[in-house]
Amino acid sequence: MSFAEWIFLLGGFAVIGPLIAHLLAKPRYRRLPFTMLRFLRTGQVESQSRRKLRDVLILLLRCAIIVLIAMLFAQPMLHTRGEMEGVRSVYYLGLDNSMSMAYSDGSGSYFSELVDSAIDYIRSADDEGIFNICTLGSGDWASGLSKERALVQLKRLKVAPVSTNIDEFLSGLRTTRDGRHSRDITSVFVLSDFTPNTLKQFIDIEKPAIVDNINYKPIASRKPINNAAIVDARVNGLANGKLTINATVVNCGRIEQNRQLTAKIGANKSAPVDISVSANQRRTYQVQIDIDAAGQPPYLLAKTERGLPVQLSLSAGDGLKEDDTFYLGLSLPQRKNVNVLLSDNGTGEMFLLRTAMKTLSRMNSYETLNIKQVLIGDLTLSDLDWANIMVCSAITDRLGYIAVDLKNFVKGGGKIVFFMTDEPSSEAAKQLWEQEVLAALPQRCVRERTYIEPGPCDNRFSPFLLSPAPASPGARRGGGQESRGVEDKSGGRPLRILVGDKSGGIDSVAAKSLSNYRMDRIVLTGFLECEQHPDSSCLWRLQNGFGFVYFKRIGKGAAILVNTSVDDSLGSITKSNASIAFCRYLLGQNNQIGEYCFARDERVMLPAYDVEVPFAGRKQFWVETCNGRNRRAALVESFLSVPDSDGVGWVKTLTKPIRYAGVNLPKGETDMTKPIAAEVAKIMDRIFSPDERQNTAAAQVSGKKRYKPFWKVFAWIIILLLLVEPAVANRLKR
Amino acid sequence: MKQSRKYLDPVLLSKLANMNLVAKCAVEGFFSGLHPSPFHGFSVEYSDHREYHPGDELKFLDWKVFGRSDKLYIKQFEQETNATVYILLDSSKSMSFAGDGSVSKIDYGSFLAAALSYLMLIQSDSVSLILFAERINRHIPPRSKRTHLNVILTTLQRNRPAGRTSLADVLHTVAETTKRRGLVILISDLLDDTGDIYQGLNHLKYLKHDVLIFHTMDHQELYLNYEGLIQFEDLESRAKIRTFPQSLRDAYRVSVSAFVDEVKKTTGAGGIDYCLLDTSEPLDRGLMAFLAKRKRMM
Repeated sequence: MSFAEWIFLLGGFAVIGPLIAHLLAKPRYRRLPFTMLRFLRTGQVESQSRRKLRDVLILLLRCAIIVLIAMLFAQPMLHTRGEMEGVRSVYYLGLDNSMSMAYSDGSGSYFSELVDSAIDYIRSADDEGIFNICTLGSGDWASGLSKERALVQLKRLKVAPVSTNIDEFLSGLRTTRDGRHSRDITSVFVLSDFTPNTLKQFIDIEKPAIVDNINYKPIASRKPINNAAIVDARVNGLANGKLTINATVVNCGRIEQNRQLTAKIGANKSAPVDISVSANQRRTYQVQIDIDAAGQPPYLLAKTERGLPVQLSLSAGDGLKEDDTFYLGLSLPQRKNVNVLLSDNGTGEMFLLRTAMKTLSRMNSYETLNIKQVLIGDLTLSDLDWANIMVCSAITDRLGYIAVDLKNFVKGGGKIVFFMTDEPSSEAAKQLWEQEVLAALPQRCVRERTYIEPGPCDNRFSPFLLSPAPASPGARRGGGQESRGVEDKSGGRPLRILVGDKSGGIDSVAAKSLSNYRMDRIVLTGFLECEQHPDSSCLWRLQNGFGFVYFKRIGKGAAILVNTSVDDSLGSITKSNASIAFCRYLLGQNNQIGEYCFARDERVMLPAYDVEVPFAGRKQFWVETCNGRNRRAALVESFLSVPDSDGVGWVKTLTKPIRYAGVNLPKGETDMTKPIAAEVAKIMDRIFSPDERQNTAAAQVSGKKRYKPFWKVFAWIIILLLLVEPAVANRLKR
Repeated sequence: MKQSRKYLDPVLLSKLANMNLVAKCAVEGFFSGLHPSPFHGFSVEYSDHREYHPGDELKFLDWKVFGRSDKLYIKQFEQETNATVYILLDSSKSMSFAGDGSVSKIDYGSFLAAALSYLMLIQSDSVSLILFAERINRHIPPRSKRTHLNVILTTLQRNRPAGRTSLADVLHTVAETTKRRGLVILISDLLDDTGDIYQGLNHLKYLKHDVLIFHTMDHQELYLNYEGLIQFEDLESRAKIRTFPQSLRDAYRVSVSAFVDEVKKTTGAGGIDYCLLDTSEPLDRGLMAFLAKRKRMM
């Protein structure tokens, strides 16, 4: 038995008080001459012995109370063998094998230090303990290991190109603990670099895990962090056979990075670009690469889309090389002409719009807009046959007459855009509505000043489809944003798939850029109250809540209704500097460079709108993942869904046209900010709570012995003795 | 009855000035309250006549007195027996014990001896007084003169208890030194070896003496009604015992009762009369026992 506060044992010397009192106590007696002593002696022997016994018992009782009180305050702990029958030491090791652990400061990588620490921990643990090892990155469990097997398992661990996933560790810990023996001693050991990404996951945990012992060790370099990473890359433009890419480089450390940025497509490399990024700085650099490499057909002559794997790299020079490469899959569309038919009432109201379109056409490297202007009253079927896109400045009776033709035009893949006047033809509108050509039915014109929302509605799911698929059952209808499209099944993170809308959808890139033009400052002098079609969606609203841009998918095409005019009668959009972007937004980029870029923890989605389907109904296709394995991918609404990219690198289709998707490290994984010890301690204390069944405040679990608090037993004994002492003393005195 | 008995109260007697008075009060107090019927044929001369009580034998009526006074009187007969009574009074230190509120055993014994002497001498019996402790301290030879009573009473009054008890030796000495057989009245607390005592008594019986033992014990000696922590100190051996008598009381009483029973049984088996006298009680029991014994001797 040992004591947590042995100093209180000195209080046991207080027993000297009752002892002295006992020894010095002289009972008062009366002297009496007597004669019959021989008759007294028989009983006297018993009485004297009994009296002595009584005095000794009372003395012992009082001494025992004093000693027990002293021992109680000294907090006794009973030594029990740690290997008692039924008592097991169970160890849970949470080892961070995320990509950030590959960081090396010259004296060894984080991960090697992690493995060494884990080995030391296991070696110092109970020989008969049970070990469960979970990698916090890949979420793999190795459970029920002996000490030797645990050491072997440690040596097999490797860094994975993933971020930490704490949920897997904690859920496994809870599940295993719930099924454990009630007398098991649970010890948790967490090894991690505790980057901000990792700490955030810990902070988000609401329910703590109940354990007996918690240990953790932040793995951090004593030297300043030396790391830069390419975190993003976007196509800036394509001109003259040269692809311009904007690459964003972040310096996550304290050391200024002077490196070289290079783009590579196959064997074709760009000229290196010198970059210089200061500590904790984020900068974007442009790199150009010639896409007409040797052996490849020139871009301008390509008849089909080309998939390009663009790899951006930083020159060596920091502690983590895995984040120095960025994979960007591109899809270059074939060049084509787009015929735009502008229809107005001949009042010159289309002038500004036509000018904007011409400008747009000149800006587009791979698409030529052929613009033709016809009076609405002179529209013929041949005009409709010629056009890809039709823009009407108003809804007049003439349009009502050709409503069926317009419907066929749209269904056949055309796009029609209706602008409004203050007095649209109600009859024509009804006919168009009945033919389901109108995305919304204009009703009453309201002459009130109003403003547009700063930008189109925030649409995680871009309202585009590569194939004119019918609306999915889960799509929201009416008044809201178009929610069908490519559903993100990878955990909620938006996919960045910028794909050209083959059927005339809205250009989502242009939609994002419109917010830069402060469209909310453009005054509209009036608007129309519109009834939205059940199958249409409102892409853009006015600030008063009414719709501004309505979109309706019809067959292969689409119909758009814009709740303003092409001239100043209802608004001045076409006069603003946003006109070109607005045109681009409405017309859509039919031929747009597709960018396929995913994070490691996202589901890879490759476009498959023109995938050859040799067999009817076939739904599975093969793709090659990052580690060279062939995996099956499911066809989901014109996309090939790849469940696991098997690392970082390229995922490509095996059937023509070959398309590439770049898989990169998860966001934030390369933020190597060193953790603050106090913050980590606070988080760990919150996440891992001691088991309340055992008062471990004064208990420790060593490799061989276990200390069990024993004070409660003493407390009860003292209470019992204090209760019986008066009764016992009175009884003995009789 | 109660009025006469008060003269038998040892506490009252202890307040009397001299033994002569004690003897007279005790005896007269005894007989005045005594119903004479049980003592037919036995006469004690202290007056010529006495009043007639129903039950008296009519043959003893003095008709002459009746003729003169019209009152019935019984003739008192003086009967000379010439018995010799040896009164052995234990004068050891233990006899000096007096419990709370009572007279000491030696006083009680002295009162009894005085009363018996008075009684005997009136009856013209010879009375001898022997005071003893470890050995015979004072021996007054038997005389039958009434003036001998003063000697006895004076000796009793001057007697002071001292020394240890050696009863057996004294009994043997008495047995060997007495020339005439008679009634040996032993007044003692018998705190000696009982075996030796019995041998001494048997010696007396062997020599044809009649023996009457008055076993005087204090009330506290019999019942030990003390409370609290008491250090008992033996009067003779100076031994000490400190104890709580309440814790020993039951066992003590059992022991004492067994002792008394054993003495009674042994003496009874040996034809020796035994009378336990509690010093807190009046003397009538002792006197009654003596009279009964005296009657059997006649």
